[in-house]
Amino acid sequence: MRKRAFIFAAIFVLCLSFSLAQEKSPRIIAIKGAKIIPVVGEDIEEGIILIKEGKIDDVGKAVTIPADAQVIEAKGLFAYPGMIDSFSFLGLQEITAVRATVDSSETGRFNPQVRAVEALRPDSMHIPVARANGITAAVVIPTGGLISGQAGLIRLAGWTPDEMVVKNSVAMHIQFPSISRFRGREAQPREETSKQVEELRELLKKARSYQKIKEVAQKNTLLPLPEFDETLEFLIPVVNGQLPVIISVQADNDIKTAIKFAKDEKLRAILFGVTEGWKVAEEIKNSGIPVVFGSLYAMPSKWDDGYDAIYRNPGVLAKAGVKFAFSSSSASLAKDLPYHAAKAAAFGLDRREALKGVTIYPAQIFGVDEMMGSLEKGKKANIVLADGDILELRTNIKHVFIEGKDTKLSSIYEELLEKFKKRY
Amino acid sequence: MKISKSLLFISFIALVFFLTASSSARVGPTYAIVNCKIIPISGPPIENGVIIIRDGLIESLGPKEKVYVPEDAEVIKADSLFAYPGLIDIHTNLFLEPAKEEPQRPGAIEAMAAEPQAPDWAKQVDSSAFQLIKPKKSDIENFQKIGITTVLVVPEKGIYAGQSVLLNINGDKKETMVIKNPVALHINFTTERRAYPSSLMGTIALLRQSFLDTEYYSSYKSQFSKSSRGQKRPEYDPFLETLSQFVIQKKPIFFNCQNQEDIKRAVGLIEEFKLNGFITGANEAWRVPGLIKKAKVPLLVSLDFKPPFTSIYINQSEELKEKAEKEIYPANSANLYKEGIKFALTSHGLKSSEVLENIQKAIKAGLPVEEALRAMTIIPAEYLGVSDILGSLEPGKIANLILTSGEIFGEKTKVERVFVDGLSFEIKQPPKEAKPSALNVAGKWKAAISGPMGEMEMTVELMQEGNAITGNISTEMGKWEISDGLLTGNELTFTISATIMGERMEIAFSGTAQKDSIEGILSFSGGSAKLKATRIPDMDL
Amino acid sequence: MLRFFVLSSLAAFSCFSFGQNLLIKNGIILTVTKGTIPKGDVLIIGGIIKQIGENIPAPEGIKIIDATGKYVIPGIIDSHTHIALIGTNESSEPITPEVKMRDVLNAEDTSIYTALSGGVTMVHTMHGSANPIGGENIVLKMKWGKTSEEMIVHEALRTLKFALGENPKQANVAGMGTLRYPQSRMGVNAIIRRELSKAKNYMEQWDRYLRAKRSKNPPKNLTPPRKDLRMEQLADLLRGKMVARCHSYRADESLEFVSLSKEFGFKVACFEHIPEAFKITKELAAEGIGISIFLDSWAYKVEASEGIAYNAAYCTQKGILVSLNSDGGERIRRLFNDAAKAMKYGGLSEDEALKLVTINPAVQLGVDRIAGSLEVGKQGDIAIFNEHPLSAYTRCDMTIIEGDVYFDRAQYLKEREEMEKKKKEDELKKKGGKK
Repeated sequence: MRKRAFIFAAIFVLCLSFSLAQEKSPRIIAIKGAKIIPVVGEDIEEGIILIKEGKIDDVGKAVTIPADAQVIEAKGLFAYPGMIDSFSFLGLQEITAVRATVDSSETGRFNPQVRAVEALRPDSMHIPVARANGITAAVVIPTGGLISGQAGLIRLAGWTPDEMVVKNSVAMHIQFPSISRFRGREAQPREETSKQVEELRELLKKARSYQKIKEVAQKNTLLPLPEFDETLEFLIPVVNGQLPVIISVQADNDIKTAIKFAKDEKLRAILFGVTEGWKVAEEIKNSGIPVVFGSLYAMPSKWDDGYDAIYRNPGVLAKAGVKFAFSSSSASLAKDLPYHAAKAAAFGLDRREALKGVTIYPAQIFGVDEMMGSLEKGKKANIVLADGDILELRTNIKHVFIEGKDTKLSSIYEELLEKFKKRY
Repeated sequence: MKISKSLLFISFIALVFFLTASSSARVGPTYAIVNCKIIPISGPPIENGVIIIRDGLIESLGPKEKVYVPEDAEVIKADSLFAYPGLIDIHTNLFLEPAKEEPQRPGAIEAMAAEPQAPDWAKQVDSSAFQLIKPKKSDIENFQKIGITTVLVVPEKGIYAGQSVLLNINGDKKETMVIKNPVALHINFTTERRAYPSSLMGTIALLRQSFLDTEYYSSYKSQFSKSSRGQKRPEYDPFLETLSQFVIQKKPIFFNCQNQEDIKRAVGLIEEFKLNGFITGANEAWRVPGLIKKAKVPLLVSLDFKPPFTSIYINQSEELKEKAEKEIYPANSANLYKEGIKFALTSHGLKSSEVLENIQKAIKAGLPVEEALRAMTIIPAEYLGVSDILGSLEPGKIANLILTSGEIFGEKTKVERVFVDGLSFEIKQPPKEAKPSALNVAGKWKAAISGPMGEMEMTVELMQEGNAITGNISTEMGKWEISDGLLTGNELTFTISATIMGERMEIAFSGTAQKDSIEGILSFSGGSAKLKATRIPDMDL
Repeated sequence: MLRFFVLSSLAAFSCFSFGQNLLIKNGIILTVTKGTIPKGDVLIIGGIIKQIGENIPAPEGIKIIDATGKYVIPGIIDSHTHIALIGTNESSEPITPEVKMRDVLNAEDTSIYTALSGGVTMVHTMHGSANPIGGENIVLKMKWGKTSEEMIVHEALRTLKFALGENPKQANVAGMGTLRYPQSRMGVNAIIRRELSKAKNYMEQWDRYLRAKRSKNPPKNLTPPRKDLRMEQLADLLRGKMVARCHSYRADESLEFVSLSKEFGFKVACFEHIPEAFKITKELAAEGIGISIFLDSWAYKVEASEGIAYNAAYCTQKGILVSLNSDGGERIRRLFNDAAKAMKYGGLSEDEALKLVTINPAVQLGVDRIAGSLEVGKQGDIAIFNEHPLSAYTRCDMTIIEGDVYFDRAQYLKEREEMEKKKKEDELKKKGGKK
C-alpha cells in the first residue's frame, strides 16, 4: 500500500515539476548549426547562438555550449534577427469594416495625448499570424487628424498589454497637411495647408512656453502653476527633442515642407510614406532624416511617375544615402512585411539592404538598436530560424524566439484548418 | 382731350400688342443687295453680284449685269462684302435655360419595396425644346454675330432628353421662328443618378429594352387593328407611343457620343434596330473612321474639342494632356475631312463666344475653309431634310444670308448684316474702346413716354457699373427689368424685358443721356415711341 | 463538364488581329502542364505556339527575344477583376442580369498596362458584387493600345455574376444602404429564387407560343410574349448557355446557393472569394465547382474573418479547381507573389502553385484550349521574369500576347531615361533663359 502511495506521490511530483518546467523557459538555449545572418557583421556558416535569460549571450562559430543548455539542432536552417514592423496596426485592428474592432484612430485634430499601446488587444488573431512569419516587434501607431498620437513599440508576445509593451512611446505621429493632389484626394488650397502648418508651429511654440513656465513654477512655488493642458503637456517631449516625430507625407513638395518644418522647429524627425521621395532624394539625404516606407501594395499617384515608382522608391533613396525601414501599414497583412522589402529588392534595392530595412535599420530609427535589430551579444534574443531567406515567399519559419522564448507559431489559420480537416 | 390715365395706358399697350401680333401677316420687305461677292455653295462664286430678296425668299441672284433690281427694293450697297448662306447650327442649346440642380428625389429615400418603382427615365421623352425655349435678344445677337441664322435647339438632360426644334433666328417670338417641330429624338449615354439605370451598362440595356418594347408595342397594336375580336386590347403607353414615332416610323434619333466607345454603342443600336440614327458630339470620331464610313450614319461633329474623361491622352502626363486639348482633338474635323468623311459642324457644348474661335482652330488644324462652310450650310440642311429651302443661295430658297466684311471665318472678318426669313438685322459692332463713362446715370428717373396714343409716365431706376447699365421700370403692370445697358460717352442703350398680358416682349431703348436728363427712342416689333426722362433728385425720396 | 459549355459558345472569331511571329530563345521554360525545360526556346508563328524545345532554328527575319537566364511562363490569367470598364455595378436595383460588361468596355484604362507589368495577359472582368444577380461578364486579352473589340476573347464561356452575403445585402453601406430589399441573406436567396422562377415562367410562355406557332393550326391572333432582356439572360443561364460565377464568403451561403442551382438546374462554375471554401471541400469537389480567391487578404469584413491562407492549397489538395484573382487593378500586378504563398501555406509544389494563375483560371473560363500553359497549338501568351516567378525577388520583364510584345521593361526604362534627360534639358533651358 505504501509503495503505491509513494509511486503516486513520485509521479505527482514528477508531473508537477515537469509542468513547472514548462512554465518557465529554459534559462539557457543553444541554437546549433544554423547559418547565422546577424545583419550586423559577417554571416556565420554553421554557427552557434547562445541565449541566456532572454538575451543573446554569445554568437559565433566556436561558442561553448553549457551543459545545462537546451540545444536546438538547426543544421540546414538559417538564423535571422526577428523582424521589426515600423508602422503597424497589430493589436489595434481586428476587422477593418467593423468600427467596434478598430482602435487605431481618434477623432479631433490634435491628440498627442493618446497612446496606441493603450488600445492593444493582445488576443488579436493577427498577432500570431505575423509572429509566425518572423516578426518579433512592431511600432504600433495611431492615425487621424493632424497630430494623431504616440506610437509605441511592442513585442509580438504577451498575455497582457503590459507584457507586450517594450516602449510606451517611441514617436509622435503627425499627419502632415498636404497641398498636393494625392491618389484621387483633391488638393487643399495652398493657403489652407500653410494655415495648418502655422497652427502646428503655434502649438509647438505654446508647448515650449508652457514647459518653461512649468519649470520655473516648479522651482519657485510662489509663482503660479499653469493649468494642466493635456495637449501641450504631451508635446513637451517633442519640443525637447526627447520624442521624435514621425511625419506622414507623400508628395515631393510636401516632403520638402515637412523637412523644413522639422528643421525650423528643431524636432527629431522620421518621415513616413514618402512615396514621391525619389523625386527629392537629395533633400531627404541632406536633412539627415530617416524614412519609413508604407505598404508597397499601392499604385503611383501619377501615371507618368512610371508604373514601378512605388517599387523603385526605396532603391533610389537607399542609393542616395537615406536611412530607411519598411512597414506593413496593416494588421491583417502584417505578416507581409518581408515581402515589401523583397519587392523593393526586385526593383533596385540591394538585397542585404532590404533585409536591414526590416531588422537593424528600424531598430536604429526608433532608438532601440541597443536591444534589438541584429544577432549581437547583449541584444534581446529575438531570433528567427527558417529553412531559407526570410524575405522569400516560399520560406518556412521553424522557430521564432522572442526574448529567448520559443513562441507558439500556430494561429487561427492552423486552428481552423485542423478543425475542418476533421470533417471528412 | 382728357382720357383717363389707365385707359390711355391700356390702349397704348394694346397698340403695341396689335402691331407686334400682326407683323407676321404682313408682306415682308424687298431688298436688293448690290455689288457683293456671292458664295452660293450650290454653284461657283459670283463676283459683283446682286441678290434680290422678296417677302422672305430669295427671288433672284447673279452677276449685276444679269439681275434686275425691282423698284420696291431697298437697295443695300454691299461693296467689298461677301454674301454667304446663313450658317446652320444643328446642335445647340440656344434659348434653353441652364438646367437647375435636381432636388433630392423623394422616391429614392423612401424604402424601396421588393419590386422596382416606376421609371423616371421615361418622363423626359416628350420634353419639347419648343416648350422650353425662352428667346432672349442678347442670345439672338450672339448667334447672329457669328453668322448663324438657323439653329436646332436640343434638350440637354437625361437619357431620353426630349425632342428638338428647328428655328430661324428671326426675332424673339418663338412661333415665328419655328421651321420644323419636332425634329428629332435625342439620346444621351448618361445615367439616372439614384434610380435605374444608375450606370452606363444599365443605360445600354435600357435603350435596347425600350426599342424592343417599342417594336413589340407597335406590332401588337397593328395586329390588334387588323383583327380585334377575341384579342385583349393593347394598353396605352405614352412613352412607347412617342418612341414609336422614332423607332417604328423612323423619325430621326440623335445619339450624343462623348467618346469613341459611345460611337460604337450608337452604331450598334442604330444597326440592330434599323433606326434613322445620327451621331452627334463625336469628339473622337477621328479615332473610328472605318466604323463611321462603314455605318453610313450622318455625323455631326462638335466644335467643343475637349477630350473626354476616358481618353488615354489626358491621363498620362500633363504634357500629353495639353497637346490633346490644343492640337490633337481640335484636329478632329480636319482628320475626318482627310478620310473623306462628310459631317456637319455644331456648337454643342460651347458658349456662343467660343464658336468662331473654335472654327478657326479647326481650320488651322487643316480643315479647308470651304469644307467648314459646307459643314455649316448645305450638309446640315441635307441631314435635316430641309435642303430644298435652306443651305445655299438659290432662287426660291429662304432668304437666310449673311454679309461679311471678309472671307468667312477669317481672323479679321466681321459679320455686318444678317438676313433671316428675308428680314434684315444689322449687326452692332462692339464699341472700339469701352472708356469708362464720366457720366453717371445711376438713380431714379421720372420718364415720360409719348407714342401714337399720347403720353404716359413711369419711374425708371438705373444702376451703373463702369459702362454697364441695369435697372428696372415701374409701371402699373408691374416692374420690368432693364438689362444689357451700355453707356458710351453720352450714348445710352438698353433693353427692357416687358411682360404684357402674359406675353414677354423686348423693347429696345436708344438715346442720349446727360447728368439730369435722358432722351431717346423706344423700339419694339411693329413700332416705336419717344422717351424723355428727368432725374428725381435724392431729397425728393 | 465545363467543356460542354465551351463547345456551345465556341466561335471562330480570330478575324480581328492576326498574331505575330516571335522566337524566344534560351529561357528557362516553365510550361506548367508539361514540365520544365532548363534551357529552351518557344517559337510563335501567327500568334500561335508552333514549337517548344531546345535549339529551335530561327526562321528568317523573325524577331528574336533573348531570354537567357530568364523564366518563361504562360501569360497569367486573372479570373476576377473589374478593370477596363466604365462603372462596376448597376446597383440601383438588386437584379440586373440584362447589363453587360460588353457594353461598357474601356480600352484606355491604364490598369490594362498595370496588368501587363505584372505578367497578366488575360482577365475576366466582371460586374461588381452590389447585387444578388449582377450582369454578364467578359474575358479580355490585355492588348494595350488596341481597340476594345480586339481585346474580347470570344472563346470564353458566357458568365453571369451572382453575389451573396454582406455586399448584396448592403451590410457595410451606411445611410441610404439600409433601404433596398434584400437586407438579409434570406432575402438574397428569396430574390434569386423569385427571379429564376419568373424566368422559368417566361421560358414556358415562350415555349407555348413557339409550339402553338409551329403547330398545324396555329390559333388566330397568336401573339408572342414580350421579349424581356432581363428574363432572356436568366433563361440563357437556365438553358446552360451561361454559367454562374457567384461571389460568396461564408460556407453556409455558398451551400445554399448550390441548392438553388440544383433547384433550378443551372451550372455554378466558380465561387468568387469564398474564404471559407476549406470548410466545404467535400461539397465543392463533388459538384465540380471551382473557386477564384485571394490567397491571404482577410479580416476586412466580418464574413472574411475566418479566411485562412491555407485555403488555396488545401482546396487544391482536395480536388477543387482553384485560381487566384486580383479583384482590382493593384493586386493584379502581383498574382505570381500570391501563387508562391500557396507553397508556404499548404505545401503546394511549384507547378501546382503556378497553375493557380495560369491553367486553372483558363479552365474555369473555358479558354484552356487556347491559353493557360505553354503548349504547341495554344496562343503565344507569355510572361518573362528575371527570377523564378515564385520568388519574392522576381520581376516581370516582358509580357507577350499572341506573339506581340505588349510590355517590355527594357523599353520602358529607356523611355524613362530619355524623358528624364529631356526634363533636365528643359530645366536648364529655363534657367538659362532666366539669366
